[in-house]
Amino acid sequence: MDQEPEEKVPLFKKWSRWYVLVAGFLLLNILLFYFLTKHFS
Amino acid sequence: MSWPDWIVLALTLLGMIAYGLYKGRTSRDLDGYFLSNRMVPWYMVLLGIMGTQASAVTFLSAPGQAYTDGMRFVQYYFGLPLAMIVLCVSFVPVFRRLKIYTAYEYLEQRFDLRTRALTSGLFLLQRGLSTGISIAAPSIILSSLLGWNILWANIMMGGLLIIYTVMGGAKAVAYTQQLQMIIIFGGMTVAGFMVIHRLPAGVGLSDVLHIGGKAGKLNIITTGIRPGGKGFDWNDRYNLFSGIIGGFFLALSYFGTDQSQVGRYLTARSLTESRLGLLLNGLVKVPMQFLILLLGVLVFAFYQFNREPVFFNQSQLDLLAHSKYKDSLAWLTHQYEATETSRLAAAPSIAANAATPADRSRAATRLLAAEQQKTGYKATVRRWLDDKDVGGDSNDTNYIFLRFVTDYLPIGLVGLLIAVIVLAAWGSIAATLNSLSSCTIVDFHRRFSHRPMSTEKEYQLSRLYTLLWGIFCIAMAQLAYNIGNSLIEAVNVLGSMFYGVILGIFLVAFYRKKTGGKAVFISAVIVEAAVIFFTVLSRQGIVKLSFLWFNVVGAMGVVLLSELLQLFMKRKAV
Repeated sequence: MDQEPEEKVPLFKKWSRWYVLVAGFLLLNILLFYFLTKHFS
Repeated sequence: MSWPDWIVLALTLLGMIAYGLYKGRTSRDLDGYFLSNRMVPWYMVLLGIMGTQASAVTFLSAPGQAYTDGMRFVQYYFGLPLAMIVLCVSFVPVFRRLKIYTAYEYLEQRFDLRTRALTSGLFLLQRGLSTGISIAAPSIILSSLLGWNILWANIMMGGLLIIYTVMGGAKAVAYTQQLQMIIIFGGMTVAGFMVIHRLPAGVGLSDVLHIGGKAGKLNIITTGIRPGGKGFDWNDRYNLFSGIIGGFFLALSYFGTDQSQVGRYLTARSLTESRLGLLLNGLVKVPMQFLILLLGVLVFAFYQFNREPVFFNQSQLDLLAHSKYKDSLAWLTHQYEATETSRLAAAPSIAANAATPADRSRAATRLLAAEQQKTGYKATVRRWLDDKDVGGDSNDTNYIFLRFVTDYLPIGLVGLLIAVIVLAAWGSIAATLNSLSSCTIVDFHRRFSHRPMSTEKEYQLSRLYTLLWGIFCIAMAQLAYNIGNSLIEAVNVLGSMFYGVILGIFLVAFYRKKTGGKAVFISAVIVEAAVIFFTVLSRQGIVKLSFLWFNVVGAMGVVLLSELLQLFMKRKAV
C-alpha cells in the first residue's frame, strides 16, 4: 500500500496544535453561550 | 409568489445546473466520477462537507426551532468539533492511504466481505429511504405555503439536480456545493438584516436579546438536570451532556462512516487538505448554527411588534375552517385578533421609553405580558388539529421562517430565499446520490459480478445508478407525501437506529486490532436487533431515552460485545 508523503502542516508546526485550537474554540463558544444564557435570562 | 420572484428563482436554479454541467467535466473513469481525480482544494472540501450536512430543513426548521423551543438546539452540535479531531487522527489517514472509493471497502480489508456488505447495505437502505424524506419534507412545506403541486415541488427539490449529478459526478457536486453555500450564506445574512431593519425605530439587537431572554428563547446552555436537582433527564433531547457525548458519537458516525460525507473529503488533493477541510468545519459549524438559530429569535422579536398569525401554516387553518371546529375557529380568531390589536397598539411606546439596559429589561417583560394568552389560543388550535376527525398537522415549527419570508420580505428577495431553500436541498441530495451510486457499483456490482468490466462501462454504469437512485428517491418522496407524517417520523427514527452500530464496527476496526470479522459481524447483528427493539420501546414510551443516546448505545454495544465474543472464541480455539 502506498504511503502518502508527509506534508507541511499549515500555520502550525504540528497537527496537535490544530486539534487544541478546535477544542479550545469549542470551549470558548460554550463559555460565551453560558454567559449569554445567564445574562439575558 | 410574484413574477419577479419566479424569475429570480428560475435564474438561480438554471444557472446552478449550467454551472454544474460546465464544471463537471472529468475523466471517464471511477476516479474521475466519484473522487474528482482527488484534485479538490481544502476550501471546497469544507464547503462540500457543510453543504452535504445542511439540508433544506436545516434552514427552514432551525429558525422555527429557536422561535418555539429556544436556542438550546445549538448544543446538538457540541460533539462535532471533537469528532473532527478524532477523524483527522484515526479515520482519514487510513482511508487516504488505502486509496479507497467507499469507507466500506476498508472493512473487507480489515475484517471480511460479509461485514463490508452488511455495513454498505445498511447505509444504502437508510440513506435511500431518508433521502426521499429529505426531498418530501421541504416540498410539503413549500406546496402548503405557496400552493404548489406536490409532484412538481418534489421534482424541483430532488429532480433537477439529477441532471448535473449524473453528468458530472463528484466534481459537479463539489463545484455546485461551493456556489450553493455562498448563495445560502448571502441569502440568510440578508434575511437577518431585513428582520432588524423592519423592527420599530430605536429597537436594536440588544432589545431583541432582552426580549428573547425574557421569553426563554436564549436558553443556549441547559444541563438536562431536572428542576430541584432531581437527577438527569435522559429523555431531554438537547442539553450540554447529550450534545457533547451523544452529538460526538453521532458526528463521528456521520462524518466517519456515512459515504455521503466520506466521499467529500476523499476528493481532496492530499491528506493535509482533507484534514484542513474537516478541522475548519469543526471551527465554523457551532457559530454558524448559533447564527441560524439567532435568526429565529430575531423573527420572534419581530412578531412582538407585528401581527403574528395564530398558526403559521395557513393550509391547516383552512382545514379547520372546513371541519366541525369551523364556528369555534371563527370565535377564537376574533378573540385572538382583538388581543393582537391591543398588544400592538402599546408595543412601540413601551420599546421607545426603554433607554437604559434596566429599562429594556422591564420593557421586554411588559411586551411579553400577552404572550401567555396567545400561547393558550395556539394550544387550542393545535389540539383541534390533533383531533382524529380533522387529521391535521399540529407541528407549525417548519412554517414560521418561510411564512415570515413570504409575508414581510420585499419582492425579489422572496424568490432568492426560496432558491436558498431549494439549493440547500440540492447540495445535500446531490452528494447523497453520488455516494449511493458509488456504494452500489463499488461495494456490490463490481465486487460480486464475475464479468470483467471496461473503465468506460464502469463509468456508464455509475451514471446509470446515479439516475436510478435519483428516480427512486423522488418516488419515495411522493410515497411519503401520500402516506403522511407517520412515515416521515418512522424513517427519521430509522436513521438514528443504524448510525451507532455502523460506527461501532468502524471503532473496532480502528482500535481493537485483535478482534476478527466473525465476532464483529455477530455483534453488529445482535446489537442492531437490540437497538431496534429499544427504539420501539422508546417510541411507545416504555423506555425514556432520547434518540441521541442510541448512537452511544449502538457504538459501545458493538465494541463491548465483539470484545467478549472474541475472548470466548479464542478460549474455544485453545
